[in-house]
This record gives sequence, structure tokens and C-alpha cells, in this order.
Amino acid sequence: MAANLKNAAAIVGAAESNEIGYPEERGPKVTSLQHHIEAIKNVTDLTGIPISDIEGVFSTGWSQQLAEHLGIRPHYLDTTTVGGCSFQVHVHHALAAIHAGIIDIALVSHGQAGWSYRGAGGGGRPVAGEIDPGTEMTMPYGVFGAPSNYAHAMVRHMHRFGTTAEDFAHVSVVTRQWAMLNPRALMFSKDTNPFGGPITVADVMEARLIAWPLTLFHCCLVTDHGGAVIVARPEIAKSLRTRPVWVAGAGESMGHQNMLEMEDFTATSASRSSAIAYEMAGLGPQDMEMAMIYDSFTITAAMTAEMLGLAPRGKGYTLWKEGHAAPGGRLPINTNGGGLSFNHSGMYGMQLLVEAYRQLSGTAEDGVNGIEGKQTNARTCVVNGTGGTLSTTGTLVLASDE
Amino acid sequence: MAYDKPIPPKGLHTQPFWDGAKEGKLMLPRCTSCNRVHWYPRLICPFCHATEIEWIEASGEGRIHTFAVQHRAFGGWAKEVPYVTAYIDLAEGDRMMTVLRGVDAERPETIEIGGLVRVEFEEADEDTHIPFWRVAEAS
Repeated sequence: MAANLKNAAAIVGAAESNEIGYPEERGPKVTSLQHHIEAIKNVTDLTGIPISDIEGVFSTGWSQQLAEHLGIRPHYLDTTTVGGCSFQVHVHHALAAIHAGIIDIALVSHGQAGWSYRGAGGGGRPVAGEIDPGTEMTMPYGVFGAPSNYAHAMVRHMHRFGTTAEDFAHVSVVTRQWAMLNPRALMFSKDTNPFGGPITVADVMEARLIAWPLTLFHCCLVTDHGGAVIVARPEIAKSLRTRPVWVAGAGESMGHQNMLEMEDFTATSASRSSAIAYEMAGLGPQDMEMAMIYDSFTITAAMTAEMLGLAPRGKGYTLWKEGHAAPGGRLPINTNGGGLSFNHSGMYGMQLLVEAYRQLSGTAEDGVNGIEGKQTNARTCVVNGTGGTLSTTGTLVLASDE
Repeated sequence: MAYDKPIPPKGLHTQPFWDGAKEGKLMLPRCTSCNRVHWYPRLICPFCHATEIEWIEASGEGRIHTFAVQHRAFGGWAKEVPYVTAYIDLAEGDRMMTVLRGVDAERPETIEIGGLVRVEFEEADEDTHIPFWRVAEAS
């Protein structure tokens, strides 16, 4: 049954952008981004709410770019894009988020240069023909896709903490060990793939360079994959034949959209998203019995482990190097083999959820996910997805049904 | 030979930057309210949220914040591999991206984070002079 959201929130101000209509008849044409920023400036001036107090950003696909342009780090991001009614839907979502106590102040924003960029299409999303200034100032510089970006974070981590590429290579070695317990993993064995498990640190270091210091084996796979989960209210969850796994905590945050705006190349917003999730759950990193951490690259997993409080700053890699994250270790991590060794379709976060559910519901032991024999005994799991170029994070604290 | 790497389309609010580049000047946006320089260019100051932004000529000096060596590239960049991409801490504040010049991409251990770099410009087309940063000679 839905909670009663009556009067749970109110719209406290409304404003338009400045150059509406046919701006070119008066002066230069206007971008969609400018419409957004003008309207945001106007509504915050009107209400007296500082832009820095905005906690949630709701828009048709713009939320991350708007937050970065404004220099704010919201902890509720919504980009629902369902046509002209999107903004009513945004208000509905904001109402729910406020009712739930996640945020107090939500910004719903719209900007669409329907005339200035007529013919460019876009449906309210950032449109072709407009260039955002972050892209304008970085596209000349020869970075191509994720590895070419993420390597910069690894180099800065090495500089700041004295870590080495060999340290991070252990992440890859351990995910192959997990993959060897999962016949559905691409890297299950040398028979399933020439690069399959087992591999050594030397193998990782000697693999082809993609973007120094990242070799091919520091990088996740690119495969086909799909997944789905169902979330239901407790009464339903308890009535089903499947075992529930409880969402004890959830949090989200962002650091930037464009890596140019990454303030600290050795840190992600997972420190904030996990703090929210842990607090909600009344649990901390010391209570986690396993972890599912998006391992787009070895650096991603190791650095995120630090952000989640699972290891001290600069020491995330030790969880893998010392075997704690490995099969039989005290804190199993990425038990399906991870994006490095299981599967990775491009947006891997769903597979984190599928595996966490299987482990915590006890269904990873019956062959559905691997060879006979239980993989972990974990009752709690922290799940962290990372999006973009170490940009955005979502953290869940999941708990098995006691 | 004609410039064969990506040339950015120009935004509506960045013309002073490209005009300056054409004259070999590094122009940066600065908020007239809090006096802080930000990069990339904004319609609103990301620090204090004022909207009066001016452009100032920068010193053209910075320091290497971090870098990577690209071994896999496409288009015009493909023939340049390996090359070094980097983020530069500007002397005036905030950070700019670049492809670093004056470094040995085959020996990344010789590239110094914190090392002094200076801006230079390459003409990509008549309207677009792209800033690149070069490691300053030890003096």
C-alpha cells in the first residue's frame, strides 16, 4: 500500500529563463543550458534558497551536467525523460524523496532551445548542434573511452600513496580466481578464453598497454549481458517463494560529469553515497561480510574499497593483494568474477545486484551461479556502482533475511 | 599538413577564449564577485553562483596534476601513439586538460607530477588555435 504523501512537500517558487520566445530576433541565439541556468538563477533568487542548498536535481537527462555547471554535489539525481509530462513526474518523484527524508530541497529544471536549435531534435535532452563547454574544452585532447580517462586517476593514486601498477594487478588476479568458480564467467578457464584464469601479476603487467599504466588485464571486459531484479514491499516480499534480501540502506552522490572537474583524482563520491547508505542501515563497513564493487578497472575497485571504508586510504589494493577479497578470504569481493573476469556489458551495475542477491539469498550455492559448493556465508553486502568517468556513485547496503 | 584531429565546435559563450588563443593568449573566466578563476567556462560561477563573469589573460603557466600515456587511439590521434594526456593545475586556479609536449611517452617514469609547464598554441583552423602545454626547460 502506498504511503500517504498528502502535503509531504510543496512547490515553493517558480520562474522562467530570460530569453524565451525567439531570442534571435533580439540578439544571439540561446542554448538549452543557458535556459536552465537562467531559470535556476531566477527561482533561487526568488525564493532566497541558495543554489548550494539544493540536494536533489530532477531534469530530462541534464541533472549531472547542471549540477557540475552549478558546482553542487546533490545526493538525489533523477533524469526521468518521458516527454512533456516529465516535469509532473519529477515533482512526484521529488515528493517521494522528500517524504522519505532523503532530501529537503529539490530542483526541477527545464531548458530547451526549441527555436534556437530547431531541427536539431533532442526532445528536451542535450541536443545535437549545441556544445557544452566541458566537451568543447576537452575534445581536442585525444582521450578515447574509459581506460584513457581512468588511467589518470591511477597515476595520481600512485603519486600520492606510493602504490604501483603491480599492487593494482592483484585485483585482476583475484577476480580470475572467482571466475574459475563460475562456469558462466568469460574468464572461467584458458579453455573458455585464452586470457582466462588463472593469471599472475606478471601476466597482468605484461599484457598489451592500453593507457599506461593500464594494461589490457587492468581493464574490464566488453560483452553482451542483461539482468533484472524486482523490488517489492515487505508484505509481498514475505509471501513469495523466493527469499527476500533487504535493502537496508541506499545512497547516491556525484563528484563531476567531465573528468576535468574531478577535484581529487584519488577519490570518488562513493564516500558520500556510502555514508548515507550506512547511516540508513545503522551499519558500517566493519559490519559488511562481502562486497560487490564495480570493477571497470583495477583502480576503480581498489579506490572504491577505500571510499566504502573497507580499507584505509591508499590501501584498498591490500584487500586483494593479501587475499582477503579472494575465495576463502574474510571479505569476499566480486564473487561472480566481476567486470574484469565475469561479464561487463558497458553498464555493469545490474550484475552487481544479481550477484549480491544470489549470495545473500543463498541461491549462489545451488549451481545457479556456479559450481557446487557455497561461495560465501555472507549475510551483509555493500554494493557500489560507479558511473561515467569515476563520476557518479550509487551504494546499497543489502542484508539477508534472518 | 592539414590538422586532422578533433576540432571543437564553438559554444556561444566561449568566444573570448578562442579570440585570445588566436593571438597566443590564454584567456580564463573569472568571477567578478568572488574573483575566483574557473575552468571550463560557465554561465554561472560554480563557487559563489554570481553570474557576472569576466575574461582575464592568464600567465600561461601551470603544473602537471596527473597524466596517462595513451597507447590506443583513433582518427588523427592514432598515428601519434604513444602520447601523454594530462591535467594541468593552472597558476590562476582550477584545472585544464591537454596533451603534454616535451615529454618521453616511452618513459613515463621520467614525467614529473608537479612539474612546471607552459602553454603554447597550435593552429587547427583559422578560427581555432588549440592550447597545448609543454614541460618547461629546467633553468
